[in-house]
Amino acid sequence: MVNFELNGAHVSFEAPATMTLLDMLRVELGVTSVKKGCEQGECGACTVLIDGYPMTSCIILAPQVEGRHVCTIDGLAENPLMKELREAFMENGAVQCGFCTPGILLSAYALLRDNKRPSEEEVKTAIEGNICRCTGYVAIIESILDAAERIAPD
Amino acid sequence: MKPLTGFSLLRPPTLVGALEMMSTLEHAQPIVGGTDIIPTFKDLGSKPVHLIDLGLIEELNGIMEEDGKILIGPTTTHTQILTSKVIEKTAPALHDAARWIGSVQIRNRGTIGGNLCNASPAADSAPPLLVHGAEAHICSLEEGHWIPLLELFKGPKMTVLKPNEILIGLRFPTIAGASSSFQRIGRRKGFTLSVVNAAVYVERKDDALKEARIALGSVAPTPIRAPVVEDKIRGKKMSEELIDEAAEACVEVAKPIDDVRGTAEYRKDMTAVLVKRALREAWRRTGGEL
Amino acid sequence: MEYDRILSDLLNRDEYLVVGKKTVRLDALDKLLGKARFTSDYIPKNTMTVKVVRSTMPHALIKRVDTSTALMVPGVVTILTAKDVPGENEIGYALPEQPFLNDKKVHYVGDPIALVCAIDETTAQEAMEAVVVEYEPLPAVFDIDAALAEGAPIIHKENNVAVKTKIRKGDIAKGWKDSDVVVEDTYWSPYQEHMCLEPEAAYAVPDGVGKVTIIACMQSPHLVREKVARVLGWKLNQVRVIQALTGGAFGKKDDTGPLISGYAALAAIKTGKPAAYIMDRSEVLSVTPKRFPVRFKYRSGADGKGKLTAVEVEITLEVGAYANRAPFWLWRQTAHACGPYEVPNVAVDGRAVYTNKVYGGSYRGFGNLALHFAAEQQVDKLAYELDMDPVDFRMKNILRIGSRTTCDQLLDNSVGIDKCLAGVAAASDWAKHREPVRIGTKIRGWGVGCAYHGNSTSRSTPDWSAASLMIHGDGSLTYRTAICEIGQGSPFGHAKIVAEIIGCNLDSIKIEQPDTDSTPDSKPTHGSRGLMMGGTAAADAAIKLRERIIRVASNMLDCPEAHVELRDSQAYNRKKPSVKIPFAEIVEEMHIRGENPASYGFYTSPRRFFDVDTGLGYNYAVYTFAASVAEVEVDTETGQVEVTKIWPAMDVGKVIDPLMVDGQIHGAISQGIGFAIMENLQLKDGVVTTTGFKDYIIPSALDTPEIDDTIVVEEPYKHAAFGAKGVGEPSIISIVPAVVNAIHHATGLRFSTIPITPDRMHKALKEAGKK
Repeated sequence: MVNFELNGAHVSFEAPATMTLLDMLRVELGVTSVKKGCEQGECGACTVLIDGYPMTSCIILAPQVEGRHVCTIDGLAENPLMKELREAFMENGAVQCGFCTPGILLSAYALLRDNKRPSEEEVKTAIEGNICRCTGYVAIIESILDAAERIAPD
Repeated sequence: MKPLTGFSLLRPPTLVGALEMMSTLEHAQPIVGGTDIIPTFKDLGSKPVHLIDLGLIEELNGIMEEDGKILIGPTTTHTQILTSKVIEKTAPALHDAARWIGSVQIRNRGTIGGNLCNASPAADSAPPLLVHGAEAHICSLEEGHWIPLLELFKGPKMTVLKPNEILIGLRFPTIAGASSSFQRIGRRKGFTLSVVNAAVYVERKDDALKEARIALGSVAPTPIRAPVVEDKIRGKKMSEELIDEAAEACVEVAKPIDDVRGTAEYRKDMTAVLVKRALREAWRRTGGEL
Repeated sequence: MEYDRILSDLLNRDEYLVVGKKTVRLDALDKLLGKARFTSDYIPKNTMTVKVVRSTMPHALIKRVDTSTALMVPGVVTILTAKDVPGENEIGYALPEQPFLNDKKVHYVGDPIALVCAIDETTAQEAMEAVVVEYEPLPAVFDIDAALAEGAPIIHKENNVAVKTKIRKGDIAKGWKDSDVVVEDTYWSPYQEHMCLEPEAAYAVPDGVGKVTIIACMQSPHLVREKVARVLGWKLNQVRVIQALTGGAFGKKDDTGPLISGYAALAAIKTGKPAAYIMDRSEVLSVTPKRFPVRFKYRSGADGKGKLTAVEVEITLEVGAYANRAPFWLWRQTAHACGPYEVPNVAVDGRAVYTNKVYGGSYRGFGNLALHFAAEQQVDKLAYELDMDPVDFRMKNILRIGSRTTCDQLLDNSVGIDKCLAGVAAASDWAKHREPVRIGTKIRGWGVGCAYHGNSTSRSTPDWSAASLMIHGDGSLTYRTAICEIGQGSPFGHAKIVAEIIGCNLDSIKIEQPDTDSTPDSKPTHGSRGLMMGGTAAADAAIKLRERIIRVASNMLDCPEAHVELRDSQAYNRKKPSVKIPFAEIVEEMHIRGENPASYGFYTSPRRFFDVDTGLGYNYAVYTFAASVAEVEVDTETGQVEVTKIWPAMDVGKVIDPLMVDGQIHGAISQGIGFAIMENLQLKDGVVTTTGFKDYIIPSALDTPEIDDTIVVEEPYKHAAFGAKGVGEPSIISIVPAVVNAIHHATGLRFSTIPITPDRMHKALKEAGKK
């Protein structure tokens, strides 16, 4: 039995050792905002925050999150920083197919939470593990920089 | 790709517990971040093993400076290495290498012990640790011993660890006036496996190389040192000519292969380029001039 | 009324309400909240899993398929083979040579043989490994020359040529006589993998007797319906296909949509249970169609004044195991062979050749990316031979109004390539960048690339699209199109066209996910036709509904119809704007007066003449034009190439949304750069060896160059809504040549193949003594 916190709520689930965190979230717990893109930890579509850190849930075994805090974008719907990110993504046209979007938002959120005024290079580095094939990243990078400006007006 | 199947996961809270499992269970294998093990299982099929998760054992995690030595626990993540001021100061090559291991997500998850025990010839943590003279602490329920890190690697994806042994620590000395550099070539700017990598460590005495160590990755079945070249340049006055000489000599040491990431010829040639760049950077970092 | 004059002739306005303005996509919020559903998000827990047993041999006769052991694996529901296919065992797109499930012969490593249906993935995997396929190996061919060699093994038919094309324009002999300089080269453009973030997925549910509902990712629900119905031996109306939001497609899912839907549907029908087929990443890379590889042998001539005189091209397209889209792909390359330039004398011969490898298929740019990679280097070489500036040389020969294309098609409207080229030359300070610049171990260089891309079908083949629109009692609207949302936002573009014409609020429109039970057949989301054709059908539906709203409103407002203005989901008299009637009230009145609140839009391209024997005539309805300048830095020590900046320009006809135009262009730049310098699909003995993101490297955020503001040229196409032309495909075409020409500028080296990876660049520099 794995006990952990998912988006602020306690979850107990009988997860076998061979179940990934991604499959537990998507299939067993119905959290479909976490996407399965490569199953190799390479594309970042399955990114979640574990104790606040972005990690790829496809290569984490479900029982390994025992006692940890797992956060998906569903848990940040009302978060002020996430709201700014969403606004910026909408205004800059940073959403196309949307498959990589939840993962990118989580990486961007973790960056801006810890670094209020990141450089462009820092933004790119923060999302280098989130592959996007539609946007060419330009609007995404702009959106994250925009959101940073909005949350930390000097 | 194959579904994960047929293994178990055990999560001992203590080192003794882990070592007991390693020695009593047949087919036991340590895991922490799983950033190498799980993708490999998915690619090639799962191994029917007991995965022993070392992630809960507190004493295996962290970076410490003690008696002129840096101690690193094997479950220390690449992010911990990258953000450690101590590492940045004492082993800049290791700091720089940590930047290039995986993406943020992988660095948050993957560990230095895992990177080494996975024994990829391209492992980015290996060359910096090798040039800093790192030793690996190998431990079983019965005994523990330190070996030079170089001896850990037996071949591609193979280490000298016996079925009941765990890598429980790494250490290397801190030397005043020393510095290091890590260089790599990838196939894009963003995270990707190294096609070739190299690390150089130097100790400067005035304008001479008091000590020089060179390690190369992805040019042999394991990460390697280049002792022949080190001997050639040790004690010499530093110059661009010496750098060229060292770089050319390293090409002879490199015995790479062709694979999907690059050709052997390219790897050989790049060995020279990276060694040059690393020698220059490490030298400058000691305050040396060229 | 011409469709490009809707604003002035129908709406009687000077300014647009939404068209041409930045707007937030209607689907953005759902996607940002993680609430947007892709196919696999619909699949319930414990749904029966389908897996495909695939050929492990590149070319072999199937002697026996034994499923008996596999069927005994606990949890296996059934295993289906060719004999279980109730309809036609055929799924080929253009030619009937592609079995749905193979039972006689396999043509590449990955050919489908059987479908394993099991309670879960692990069971399915175990059963799949227990299926015994006995082969009699046949000699296999892995390249076009081997396939064309005398006595080569026959893959489908004698000589392995699937299809041929030909153009003869002017007098090629005279062309060579008029040439003062001639350049010749052979180019090879390899496979490219789409790397859509979402792997293929299909979910099928048996729906009573004689019906099946399929939810899947795709680019044409009606094509999927047709193919699945054929395999099942059913009528079209027995198959209901719903396109789920599709996580990237780029052409790939036009080809895989029917296959994956077929697997899931057959499994569901045969077992009576809902069935899910989800590909994993390595399967996507190993067995699904890629950008077709192709070889071009080019000979191009120009006279001393810098006018192009002749172009002769031999195209050998490698189709792989099945022709699939090859006839259309090859025609595009044939028809665009001169690039966006006027050339009086042209001879093009194309052939598509089978090999025993993963087959080619649709991919953004459809043949024109490879074509321009070659054609634009030829043009560059001629300029250098003539000692002319590459931009000036292009400008001298560029297509303009009144020019004739490779196919001798007279261009009489919507030609803006000259403005694109002039625009990027000015923006990039081209004239100041004529000398490469050395910076440490790096050299910086600049290159230019031009492109054109026919919209809709080739050879004046009839093309049409449809859409429907319904206004509800509260004034909200439902819009239906089978043009798929695959990331590009085309249906949202339609919605903007509708909002512009109806005067409704943009957010009052809901775009329904395409569903063949209710959505009209808009034809596929490919061929740069999604907005150009689909959007015009939307306009047609909107115009019809608008007429009825105006009729009723003029009566309610007691004013002439010409005075009625529709805006903000209200109607008012332009002469007396204080009284406004909300759409809800008008809809109620429409019902009372017997005015239909639903409308069906239908649009057909104008019919023209094309002669397939000479390859001459009116080929494409219209062309999108693009030009780019690239700045690159080549590290001469390591061979690493970095694209540091791109200046893009495009003649889009009319911008429907600048954010979407930029989005397409930025994405295309990234994909183009990937293809030019890093993406390298590798095979060994017909087996793909780069089976994941780890080894099939595509650009990450850190590989993003600086991109200058897009220079947008608007030369409206008179037969499309507001004059808009397709953007997504053409945007990639000029990028690759701009990058390779910039690399040449920096290094003096020409590359006849891509990707220009660090090891290739290093080797070339070494051989040229430039290291």
